[in-house]
Amino acid sequence: MGVLADIRATFAIAWTDVRLLLRDRAAAFFTFVFPIIFAMFFGFMFGGGGGERGKIEIAVVQLDQGPAATAFIEDLKKTGEISVKMVPTAEEAEAMVRKGEVIASIVLPSTFQKDFDNLLSTGKGPKLEGFVDPSRKAEAGLLEGRLNELAFRTMGKSFSDPAKMKQNLAKVKESIAKASDIDNSRKILLGAALQNMDSILDDNQKQAAAGKSDALSDPMANFRPVQVDLKELTRKRVGPTNSFEVSLPQGIVWGLMGCVTAFVSTLAHDRQRGTLVRLLSAPVSRWQVVGGKALAGFISCMLVQWVLIGLFAAVFNVKLTNPPMLLIATLASAFAFVGVMMFLSVIGRSGEGSAGFGRSVILVMAMIGGGTIPIFFMPKFMQTVSSASPFKWAVLAIEGALWRGFTPAEMMYPLLVLCGIGVVGFVLGVMMFRRAMKT
Amino acid sequence: MLRLEHLRKTYGSLVAVDDVSLEVRKGEVFGLLGPNGAGKSTTIGMCVGLVSPDSGSVEIGGVGAPTTDAVRRHLGVAPQALAIYDDLTGAENLSLFGRLYGLGGRDLSDRVHRALDLVGLMPRASDRAGKYSGGMKRRLNLAAALVHDPPLLLLDEPTAGVDPQSRNNILDTVRDLARAGRTIIYTTHYMEEAQRLCDRVGIIDKGRLLCVGVVDDLVRAHGGKSVVRVERAGKHERVETDDPLREIATVLAHVGPDGPATGVHIERPDLESVFLSLTGRSLRD
Repeated sequence: MGVLADIRATFAIAWTDVRLLLRDRAAAFFTFVFPIIFAMFFGFMFGGGGGERGKIEIAVVQLDQGPAATAFIEDLKKTGEISVKMVPTAEEAEAMVRKGEVIASIVLPSTFQKDFDNLLSTGKGPKLEGFVDPSRKAEAGLLEGRLNELAFRTMGKSFSDPAKMKQNLAKVKESIAKASDIDNSRKILLGAALQNMDSILDDNQKQAAAGKSDALSDPMANFRPVQVDLKELTRKRVGPTNSFEVSLPQGIVWGLMGCVTAFVSTLAHDRQRGTLVRLLSAPVSRWQVVGGKALAGFISCMLVQWVLIGLFAAVFNVKLTNPPMLLIATLASAFAFVGVMMFLSVIGRSGEGSAGFGRSVILVMAMIGGGTIPIFFMPKFMQTVSSASPFKWAVLAIEGALWRGFTPAEMMYPLLVLCGIGVVGFVLGVMMFRRAMKT
Repeated sequence: MLRLEHLRKTYGSLVAVDDVSLEVRKGEVFGLLGPNGAGKSTTIGMCVGLVSPDSGSVEIGGVGAPTTDAVRRHLGVAPQALAIYDDLTGAENLSLFGRLYGLGGRDLSDRVHRALDLVGLMPRASDRAGKYSGGMKRRLNLAAALVHDPPLLLLDEPTAGVDPQSRNNILDTVRDLARAGRTIIYTTHYMEEAQRLCDRVGIIDKGRLLCVGVVDDLVRAHGGKSVVRVERAGKHERVETDDPLREIATVLAHVGPDGPATGVHIERPDLESVFLSLTGRSLRD
C-alpha cells in the first residue's frame, strides 16, 4: 500500500476509536484505589505532616542599597509566609510574575532611603511598585498588609534611635525655615510645635522606659509608611478581562483528563475482545495501530479544548488575544496528554484494569498539578512534585497564550516540558506495547 | 498455497507447537482438528504473522512469509474471539476492516454489502453488533475476514458457541467459499464439522501434528474396524468387522437359539476413533 493508503488506514483506526468514545454512555466508575490516594493526599495537605507550608513567593528588586532598604528586605525574609527571590531588574521580576514563578514583584526604588528619611518632613513614604498575578488576588492583599507592617517595623527602629530622630526633626525644622510659602508667624508656631514634639518624644521615651504604652501609636493608626502599588500584571497588557479567562485553563485540563481516561482502556479492550488480533493481522504496522489510537486521543483532546475555548469566548466574553499561540499551547497540551495516555494504556491487561489504573493515575496527576487545589496552597515538597504533572504545564501554557502575555521565548519552557512528557509517554508506551505483543 | 515447515513455538516451559510441517493446497478446505489447547490457535497465529515462531517457517502462496503487508493482503482471518466492535454497526465494522486493507469508496461499499449478504446479515446491517445474537456475531466475525476478498482464509473455531441455525449458515458459507475457489484452513474440535467440510484433515494434540490426510484414509488407517451391534430377545451382541454390510446380511440370515435378530446397528469408525486410537483420549477430554 502507498503512503496515502497507510494514512487512510491509520485514520480509519483513529476514527473508529473516536466514534466508540462518542457512543460509550457507560458511567465512569472509580476503583477502590482512588479514594485511598485521595485521602492520603488530603492528609498531607491538612495534616501538617508534610513539612513546610507553601509560602507566598515574591521577586524583590533592591535599587537602593541603603540601610533602610536592606533592613526592610531582611525583615521581609524573616516572615513565615513570604519567600523572597532577589532579582537585579524590574523587568526580570515582572517576567517571573508573568511566567507564574512568583505571585508578585516588588521594586524598592533608588530613592528608598531618601524617601524614608524624609518621611516626616514630606509625609510620604517610599513608593513600592510591582506587579501581581491576577489569579492570586487574595494573596496580593495579604502581601500588601505585610509590607506595611514591615515598613512600620523599620520605621519603629528609626524612631527608637534618638540621634536619628533628632536628625529627622532638624531636617523638618530646616525645611520649614527655608519654605517661602509659609509666613513668619506660622513658622514660629510650627517651630514651637516641633519643639514640643521634641519634648513629647523625650517624655515618651521616658514612659517607654518606665514600661508604659507608646503615646504616639494611636494617632498613627491610619498612617502608611510605604505606599504599595501592586498592579495586576496583565491588565496592563492583554488580559484577563474577566474571571472566566482564569478558570478556562482549569476547565480545559479537566477536559483533557476526561479524554485520557476515556481512551486509556481502548488498547486493552482491543486485546481483550480480539479486535487487536484482527487489526494486527491486517496489512498495517504496529506503529499504525498505536498511532491510530494516539491520533484518536489527540483529535479528541483538541476537540475538547477548542469546544471549551469557543464556548467561553462566545458566552463568557473570553478574549482570544493570541490565537496562534493558543493553538500551539493546545497542540502541546494535547500531545502531552496523549503521551500519558499511550503509556497508561499498555499497562493494564484487561480493559477494566487499564481504566481503573489510568483514572487513578490521572486523578493523582490532576491533584498534584493544581487541578483540584491551587499549587501555592500545597506544602513545599508537593509544589516541587507538581512539576512532574502535565496539568501544571498545560495550565501555564494556556494561561500564557490566553492572558499572561507570554512572549514566544517565555512560552518555550512550558511547551518543551509538555512535548517532553508527550515524547517520553509515547516512546515508553510503544516499547511496552511491542514487548507485550511478543509474549 | 500455504506451507509450514518445522514450526516450533514455546512459552516458557510449555511447548505450544512442536515441529509442525504441512502443506495446504490451493482451493482445498483443510481442517486442523484437535482438543482445546492442542496448539491450533498458535499455529494460526504463526500463519498470519501475529506469533513469531521460535524456529521453522511459514510461506504463503509462493510470495513469502506473512510478516509483510503485501503477503497479509492475501489472508483473511476470523479469530476464535469475536473480533468485532459491539458499538459499531455490522456495516461499520466491515467498513473499518476493509479500509485497513486499502479499500475505499464505492468498491468498499459494494464489498461490505456482498460480505453481509453472504453471511445473511444484510437485513441487520445498520444495527449495532452489540445487539446481535451470539450466532450473528460469529457470522459477522466471518464476514470481516471476507470483506477484502482474500484467496486464503484462516477460520479459527468459527462455530464456537453458536446456535444450530447459525452453525449451519456458517458451514454452508464456508462450503460456498470453497466452491468459489478459496483456500480455507478451518480449526475445530468438532469432528462432525471436519468430516462434513474438509477435503483433508490434520490432527493435532499437545502441539504435535499426529497425522494428515483425507478423512476416509485416516479413518481407514487409524479408526479401527466397524462395529455391528445385534439385538436378539433383549440380548446384545457386538461384532467387529471390516465389512459391516456383509456382517448384517449374515446376522439377518441366521436364526439362533434366541430367535431372529430384532435390531441391528452399525458403528462406523470416524475421526473421534482416529483421535482415540492415536492419543488414547477422546477429542472432548
